[in-house]
Amino acid sequence: MSITPLRPRTGPNSPDGPPVRLVTPGAQESIGMLDDNALFRTVVMPYIDEAYRLARWLTGNGTDAEDVVQDASVRAFRAIRSYAGGNPRAWLLSIVRNTAYSWLRKNRPATIVSVDDLEAVELEHGKLDERHDETPESSLIAKVDAEQLRAAIAKLPAAFRETLVLRDIEGLDYREIAEATEVPIGTVMSRLARARRRLLETLRQDD
Amino acid sequence: MQMGVTMRRMILAIALIGTALPFGAASTPALAGEAERVRELQNLIHDRLPRETAPPGLRARIESSVGGTRHERAKPSWLALAASIAVAAVVAGTSTWLVVDSRQQPMQVAELLVSDHIRGLMAPEPVDVVSSDRHTVKPWFNGRISNSPRVVDLAKDDFPLIGGRVDVLGRTPVSTLVYRRAKHLISLTAVSADGAPALNGGPRSINGYNIVRWIENGMSYWAISDVEPKELELFAQLFRSSQNEL
Repeated sequence: MSITPLRPRTGPNSPDGPPVRLVTPGAQESIGMLDDNALFRTVVMPYIDEAYRLARWLTGNGTDAEDVVQDASVRAFRAIRSYAGGNPRAWLLSIVRNTAYSWLRKNRPATIVSVDDLEAVELEHGKLDERHDETPESSLIAKVDAEQLRAAIAKLPAAFRETLVLRDIEGLDYREIAEATEVPIGTVMSRLARARRRLLETLRQDD
Repeated sequence: MQMGVTMRRMILAIALIGTALPFGAASTPALAGEAERVRELQNLIHDRLPRETAPPGLRARIESSVGGTRHERAKPSWLALAASIAVAAVVAGTSTWLVVDSRQQPMQVAELLVSDHIRGLMAPEPVDVVSSDRHTVKPWFNGRISNSPRVVDLAKDDFPLIGGRVDVLGRTPVSTLVYRRAKHLISLTAVSADGAPALNGGPRSINGYNIVRWIENGMSYWAISDVEPKELELFAQLFRSSQNEL
């Protein structure tokens, strides 16, 4: 008859990730009682590391990532009343992501690959998939070092990269990623699968 | 051609879940090799890419820039007020949950729900609230979902209730009950039907997961499981004919 507490849905890669909370009426009320600064400290400040890492993967370097996170934090503060008591990490990461893309559009328009272009990318990638029956070289990626791995992830189209980073590095679950990247869960799964396939192909070619 | 498409889907599914097991007899050494490489990749990422922390000083800079914003807010000008409302509106607009479109094709709904079912199987627990007691599960949903599902006890028919969870369809939270049949789980999701959308023509199975659906009191119910189609039909019949609503 007892109700077990909501389980944290963090992935296997983040055993120590912050617990995920679903909305409860009680949480809504307590949010109402916090002032903006207290709310900001509760909702935004605990996730600055995650925000910085995502911004770094999206912009490609630490200095730009700091600017993006600072800008995103100000946006988050101004919008803190629109935070509805859902998952704070996903809420903040969606703001960081939008800020990073605005920043990239303004400063590095050539690096932005739109979702439309992704379809072309996926068609091209379809050809790679056909080659699955080549001799498996299972021990191949064991030789890859951190720098090769980082470079291969950086080469992924942004939509694939952010999905892979949020899942395989940050350990978010599909629902959080769907919220943070503003696409349906099915799209998250499809992008994740394609991102991993492309990454494997890149590492295989590098070797 | 058909095989190529099927094979491609299988490879993507393996890339997603990192195992070839759910495909049973369809599994081949090549597919098992794919699964092995996906797992290797995940380990590699986990072991070789340490998660960095934000540089020292970033938090302090954020706090001071936010403090500056707050100072502005203490003396709000119409302009600042209008700007902050505009930002809030944009953020609220992008994070608003979309209502499930009743015209959404049964195929899309089915695919999303099969994804949720698989995710449930992969998660440490397939449910958010663990209880075999419908008097626990039903109120749990009442606090979270506006139209909660009918919860019935089918333990005497060997379909014990395991619990419930909130799934997301598109961006709309929906309630899912989880029942067990022998060693298989059945996810039963209730979706607000909004009139009577055509349910005919939708898939009866996706990736080896069987799907049975029906409409009841303005909700469409979707049962998804890897049990035999006959068993799933039996489950649907028992559920629909049971009257022990809370």
